[in-house]
Amino acid sequence: MREKSSSPKSSTIDQILDLLLDALLERQAARQAQAEQPDTVPTPKPSVPPSPIEEATTGPLAASEAPVMEPTTEERQPPVKSARRSQKSQHRRPRPGEEGWTPPPKQPSIHLGRTMGRLLVILVALMALINIPLNRHGTSLARIMPDTAALVIRDGLVVKGSGPEIYALEDNRLRWISSLEAFEFFDYHWEQVHIVDDDFLDEFEMGPPIHVLLKCQGSPHIYALESSKKRWIKDIPTFVAEGYVWEDVKGVSCSYLRDLPDGPPIPDDAGPPPEP
Amino acid sequence: MKDLAVIENILRNRHHFFIEIRDGIGLQEKIRAMLISCIAFLALYGAVMGSTHSLWQTLSSAVKLPLLFLATLIVCTPTLYFFNVLFGSNQSMTQNVAVIITAITVTAVILLSFAPITMFFLLTTSHYQFFKLLNVAIFAIAGIAGVVFLSQGMRMVAASGNEGAGARRWLLYLWIIVYAFVGSQMAWTLRPFIGAPSMQFELFRQLGGNFYTNIFASIGEILGFVTVR
Repeated sequence: MREKSSSPKSSTIDQILDLLLDALLERQAARQAQAEQPDTVPTPKPSVPPSPIEEATTGPLAASEAPVMEPTTEERQPPVKSARRSQKSQHRRPRPGEEGWTPPPKQPSIHLGRTMGRLLVILVALMALINIPLNRHGTSLARIMPDTAALVIRDGLVVKGSGPEIYALEDNRLRWISSLEAFEFFDYHWEQVHIVDDDFLDEFEMGPPIHVLLKCQGSPHIYALESSKKRWIKDIPTFVAEGYVWEDVKGVSCSYLRDLPDGPPIPDDAGPPPEP
Repeated sequence: MKDLAVIENILRNRHHFFIEIRDGIGLQEKIRAMLISCIAFLALYGAVMGSTHSLWQTLSSAVKLPLLFLATLIVCTPTLYFFNVLFGSNQSMTQNVAVIITAITVTAVILLSFAPITMFFLLTTSHYQFFKLLNVAIFAIAGIAGVVFLSQGMRMVAASGNEGAGARRWLLYLWIIVYAFVGSQMAWTLRPFIGAPSMQFELFRQLGGNFYTNIFASIGEILGFVTVR
């Protein structure tokens, strides 16, 4: 059927293919001659892969089972793409670790170990340098930048706005630390206090204030210290209702308690506070 | 200093290095030299990370960063080894460990090479979330380089046993994912490494949350979408 349809145009194509094949055979012969020359240095082959058609003519597989290059009968020509794919997979260079792969020659030493050692020494020296305290507060070069860092908002964060009040964050609520004694009693430190914008404080609702509770040995009464004033806690149910625990009670001398001015009692309608 | 010479062998003559591991040549010496090198490099990088917070954090991170990698290695190596054996590998456990430590050493070398950059940002910015994400990115780059080495090393060391080679290759890819998960969870467990500026020094922070949600939250905070709580 194909014989029938052959035309002058197809014969021109045949001629072109013949010429192409001749050129390829010449190249192959040249390559073979080059390959037969003894190698002096076992360097790996250049990474440019041979073209599929070259591979078809050079490879042992091509010789045995690829009739691709028979130009006289068009029917024998396999589809170019599939031939290319199969030959590519069979003729690709072996990867490291695969059979037939040879490692490249060993590189000469560039004394990288010594360089690494020097780098280590320099970095250790730099580390020591940036960690040396520069002032009496112990601030070092590594921590000298102003604290513009984003705050990690979590329970126990201590913040202060433009006013004198200091707050501790608990359960997403700000709790006012009501006195310096409370600040110290609950083991807060000045380094923990972060100055923030008032807008930041406004984002949180207020929780109950953090009081330190005072009691002297000769008196049964307990007082909450708030803004340097003692507030009498009326009775145990009030104590419990306010959420206080016995661990919050700090023992002080009765004279110290007596010297503190009275604030409003807890609750407000508890009446006049007794003397400690 | 002599142990650091192993770095040159790994970086410049990696094929020969892996072939020696495959042939079992000087395995103990190699492992020892790599362990010393990677512990030194990781400790130094850990110290750089912790410097942003306090001296205690510096020392703590210098200890914890090598610990992170070694603990992850201990947790994950048996899985890789026994699955490899199951799929026809004839490597010994020591060979497996040597290849994995090679990858960790490469990761450590890359981290050390980033140390001056980290130090530069440490001295010129104090944005905690930025610094944290910068370190996550650096660890990702170093980790990928290490994983590439691991993949090459495993292929070469396992070359003598061709049975189940394809399965072992897939197994290695899966193991790398598991290793990454274990590593990130280990890092989360051993945190802090940098130390949040609003918090006092703590050796370990209470558990809760996870690595990935924290990273997304940090990105969100840098972009101004959320505040890390």
